[in-house]
Amino acid sequence: MRFFPVIATAVLMANAYALVEPTLPVWDLKQRAELEAAGWIPGAILLTDAPVPDEPQQPAAEPLQVEQPKPEEIAGDLKPSTDIAEKFLPAYFAERPKTFLIDPQGLLSPADYRDRLSFLNYHASDSSIDLFVYVMGGEQDIPSEVREEEMIERFFSAGRPAVVVYYYLGAPQRSVVYLSPSITDSVSAAEQHRALESSVMQAFEKIRHPEQLEKFLVQMSIRIYWMERMLAGDSASVAAAPSARVAAVRKAAAPSAKLLWLQELARKCAFPAALAGGGVLAVFAFGFWRRLSVRYRFPDFEVEPRLGGAHAAGVGAVISFASAAVPPASQRDQVPDYLRRA
Amino acid sequence: MKCPRCVQRIHRAAASCPHCGFTLADADARFGDEEVRIRCLTDSAGILRRGDREKVELAMERITRRFPQVFVAIYTGSLGEVANIRQFGFWLLNRSAFEDVPVEKPNEAGILITIDPESKAAGMVFGYLLDPFLEESDTFECLSRAHAYWLEGRYAEGILRALKHLDGILRKRSRQARRDPEHFERKVMPPVQMGDLVRRIRAGHRPVAEEEATAEVLS
Repeated sequence: MRFFPVIATAVLMANAYALVEPTLPVWDLKQRAELEAAGWIPGAILLTDAPVPDEPQQPAAEPLQVEQPKPEEIAGDLKPSTDIAEKFLPAYFAERPKTFLIDPQGLLSPADYRDRLSFLNYHASDSSIDLFVYVMGGEQDIPSEVREEEMIERFFSAGRPAVVVYYYLGAPQRSVVYLSPSITDSVSAAEQHRALESSVMQAFEKIRHPEQLEKFLVQMSIRIYWMERMLAGDSASVAAAPSARVAAVRKAAAPSAKLLWLQELARKCAFPAALAGGGVLAVFAFGFWRRLSVRYRFPDFEVEPRLGGAHAAGVGAVISFASAAVPPASQRDQVPDYLRRA
Repeated sequence: MKCPRCVQRIHRAAASCPHCGFTLADADARFGDEEVRIRCLTDSAGILRRGDREKVELAMERITRRFPQVFVAIYTGSLGEVANIRQFGFWLLNRSAFEDVPVEKPNEAGILITIDPESKAAGMVFGYLLDPFLEESDTFECLSRAHAYWLEGRYAEGILRALKHLDGILRKRSRQARRDPEHFERKVMPPVQMGDLVRRIRAGHRPVAEEEATAEVLS
């Protein structure tokens, strides 16, 4: 242990020495001159920046001449065409539709189609303005060769006034509304826009596409009622919300086609049922009135006066409500003068 | 039937309490012997608000309409230190002249509810007309219905509850009286004199032969 400082110092010095890098070799000028005189210095080419003598100059590389692809060779858009397939066009646009719901592509399930169609039929029976709905896919477009305005004018000029809706399933915001020429002048564009906007908003309350269509149609039907009132010139009553109609339309939209027979039955039985209900109500009301109006009498017996009282000696109960700790039950058996204060 | 002062049972035609000798004169000595003119709803204590008054008056009127012979009166007031609410009610129904009650309807047909918000006590008394039909327990039940409300100072609601229950009891008693009036009449028949009773008992035990002989002698 006595030699430990000495050893440690030696080790440290050795390390410090090892850390110092060795210096690069340096030419001895005399020796170099001798080698140059001999004509060759090994590694001189590599270790100098001077250009290599007698090296041939290479010309600069020219850009490659690549032939550009022809227009027909360029690959088309990978997305399929969004236009409605040509085979469906006649079913959509060849003639005035025979039903209120036009879905030749079968985008709606049969049950949904039936339900929506039954609602549109109901609407037609209840309103003077028909509602025709063309159902198309959310991504689809009407081919440019189809001119909607012209088609509306051609098919819907005659007959009952109609509102025609191009409805894009799953994308209600793309929907377009057209009015038949007979009512175009009476219903302002702003009103049409409002009708469409509110219907779209109603549609977006649902997530499923068929349900969106259902909400859309219900709201559109309600708005058509307003248009109807406008046509009648009853602008004052338009301001007042036709709540009865709204309720009726909503109610009508709710049941499915399976319940139509029930509706029919209800319609037939409505009057007798109302009559019977009214009768029962009248009986109850009469009973209630009779019960209210009944008079109760007591037999008048001769009672001998007591305690000198000319009119009364029927002393009833006395109750104290000074404390919640003394409930009425504990006061039933009243002791003499128990309420008298000292 | 109980004495308003000692709350002991008394018989039907007692001129004074056989236990303490109480009569109306004692109450007169305490509260005055003159006629008191009040209305059916007299809120001397001022515990009823205007809206409450209307509700209470409506309930009182309903009873009056349903039971044409009867009227209801309500008195609220502080009865002082030594006052006894039972005696006061007895006295008030005998001495008051109700201004808003038709003259053909005497105090015998009255039901008086007295409330003392200071001593926190309430009592109910009734006239001779209802004597056969109302029991003390009936009036106790009516007041019990109001107890919870009066504890919280909701006097009007308590009164309404009490009147509603009273209405039910009166209807029930009226129906019972129509079915079996004798049952109620027996309750107010004058008590049998002791002498008559003994004579009838003795007559009942006398042998038939002796009875005939007595009859012959008498004839």
